[in-house]
Amino acid sequence: MQDRPDAAELAQAVREFIETEVLPGIDDPRLRFRTLVAANGLGILEREIALGAPLVRREVGSLARLLGHADPLPDDPGELRRRAVDLNRELAQRIRAGDTPEGALAHLVATVADKLRIASPRYLERYR
Amino acid sequence: MSVGAPPLSASTLSVELRERLVPIFGADIAIEQLALLEDEHRLLEVAAAAGVRVPMPCGYLGEIVGRPAFVSERVSGETIGRRIVQRPELADARAVLPAQMAEELAKIHAIPAERVPFLGGVGAHDVLGRLTNEVDHLEDAHPAIELGLAWARGRAPERNETVVLHGDLRVGNLAVTATGLGHVLDWEFGHRGDPAEDVAWPLVRAWRFGVDQLRLGGIGDVEPYLERYNALTGRHITLASLDYWEIVGNLKWAIGALTQSRRHLSGQQRSVELAVLGRLAAEMEFELLHLLERAA
Repeated sequence: MQDRPDAAELAQAVREFIETEVLPGIDDPRLRFRTLVAANGLGILEREIALGAPLVRREVGSLARLLGHADPLPDDPGELRRRAVDLNRELAQRIRAGDTPEGALAHLVATVADKLRIASPRYLERYR
Repeated sequence: MSVGAPPLSASTLSVELRERLVPIFGADIAIEQLALLEDEHRLLEVAAAAGVRVPMPCGYLGEIVGRPAFVSERVSGETIGRRIVQRPELADARAVLPAQMAEELAKIHAIPAERVPFLGGVGAHDVLGRLTNEVDHLEDAHPAIELGLAWARGRAPERNETVVLHGDLRVGNLAVTATGLGHVLDWEFGHRGDPAEDVAWPLVRAWRFGVDQLRLGGIGDVEPYLERYNALTGRHITLASLDYWEIVGNLKWAIGALTQSRRHLSGQQRSVELAVLGRLAAEMEFELLHLLERAA
């Protein structure tokens, strides 16, 4: 096991360094923008470490219900992720074939909202 | 340009010319849909002749240090979307921009297509076919986008009128001065298609830069803008048609963001901006679903 800082704490340390020590010294607007993007990328990483695992589980559970699969969800995170990839492909193929399952829109609204909780939580607030 | 000729660059221009001209370089890599730079230069010439407010093109140069280039008039004005929708000193500009955007679109859509024969002609079915093709080139599946594509295919308007389109006219691609619209920039996505595609594009939420309640680019309401466009062109584009093309616009930008992130992931163009764009596609997906819910 690694010593602290853990992964989220390390990402946070780098983001805070960029925000407080690097950004104030940058005048070039293009470089400034890319630096803000980089800090934002670390923020996404921090949130994914904190929230990601239960959200993937929730997505796979919802996909399985939507597509009528009864088999139990895998415990291994890597396997769970592969299941998410497979089930999303199955859903996409059914929609493409004109066989959209009942409840697909509600499932997708909830799932994309979960993606935004990690990728862009402030954007999600704009819909409140 | 012949081998051995002295490289023509901004530094070979006189100081006076350098203040008034700016070199425009093409991408060093091919992006699907991106007009060749020489075509873009020609489109600018034709648009200028049609009275569209464009930075005056001053000559296509051919290849300069490995990339195509042309010389353009240097124009001033604010181009950053967030500033255009927010800055107090641009309030007067925001008041007149909607009508001015309608006027520029009307002029662009009146450009005789035979003067720009290199532009591909596409209707809704072709746009959706191209988007489907792009989705198929992403490795993973995107069911939210599939749902949007399925919705749009089922309601695609029959191809009626095809006009010259700017392809990317929105806040962020306009040079805006204190008194309003200075110049229409960024012509690389010029193509032919349904005029409503162009009229609806600046409505897409991503181009409101946080001022979500003003559906036209965070600067105004849609109705007066659409009325001005219809009055100038004699067309009868409806709000329902804009609703349709706004959904297609969100599809375009969601898929565009994912495709651009793949340029980073594949090593074609390493960039933190492109990388993060892959995650921000979820914003456009969410807006797409929100619009689909409302349309249902």
